[in-house]
Amino acid sequence: MKPSTKPISMLIVDDSMVIRNRIARLVANPQLPAINICGLAGNGEIAVQMARENRPDLVTMDLTMPHMDGEACIESLADFLPDAQILVVSALSDKATALRAIRKGAHGFLHKPFTDTELLDSLLELIG
Amino acid sequence: MYTQLQPQDIEIFTEALTHYFLASTGEPAAIRSAYLLNTGGPVLWNDFNGLIEISGEYQGSVCFSAPRGLLSHVLLKMGESVFSDERHGDIVGEIANTLSGRARRHFGEGLGISPPQLLDYSLTTYEPTAHNTPYAIPLRWHGYEANLVVHLQPT
Repeated sequence: MKPSTKPISMLIVDDSMVIRNRIARLVANPQLPAINICGLAGNGEIAVQMARENRPDLVTMDLTMPHMDGEACIESLADFLPDAQILVVSALSDKATALRAIRKGAHGFLHKPFTDTELLDSLLELIG
Repeated sequence: MYTQLQPQDIEIFTEALTHYFLASTGEPAAIRSAYLLNTGGPVLWNDFNGLIEISGEYQGSVCFSAPRGLLSHVLLKMGESVFSDERHGDIVGEIANTLSGRARRHFGEGLGISPPQLLDYSLTTYEPTAHNTPYAIPLRWHGYEANLVVHLQPT
């Protein structure tokens, strides 16, 4: 991601409101650069719609979701937002799923359950 | 005669429970020995029951059943300040989802996992899709008892 003075725009995608809220709270941590949350989506369909409207720089993406799952959503976002950095945050712990998500356009993978430090480290690594 | 899960299959769910509470809350849960249930389908003991339907190379379900107090403490540990029924239903489903997802480390991607659904104690008409005997894994955390019911059979 290129250095910029603008806040980083971020979309949080997860079917759990508790997880969406937790990630939103953690990105306000002073260890991270300024991040502006442009949307919270509970499934892939809503995420695609929000991403078209707000064009986020950074996306956290769950995989198991109703309506449109995370893999389909990653493919769609990678198509029209090729520069967006996508961090998969999912419980699915097999290697094949992680590799497939990366092949479809994700840039990192964080397994649930995650600690606050693990999420911050993953975001810092992605933001560079 | 239906195929039963092996002890190493059940162990993966015990490990997932241990890992979940430690990573999510910083406090370990006391996980007790798994035992076979004689009744079919998910067994509902508690206020909230989050169910994951399993498909693919296995069929059946994984159900996390917990009292409101336990879930309130988990929400608090995660920084939540709203303790509505909706948030409790959300977190019980998320726990079931996370435990099932971690089991793919052992079972592989052939363990198809649905989004969580909340089973209502009084209204549920859930029909089990596995026909062997389910396992219950009891746990104690913050003085509360909860159970994970694993009902899986290979297809």
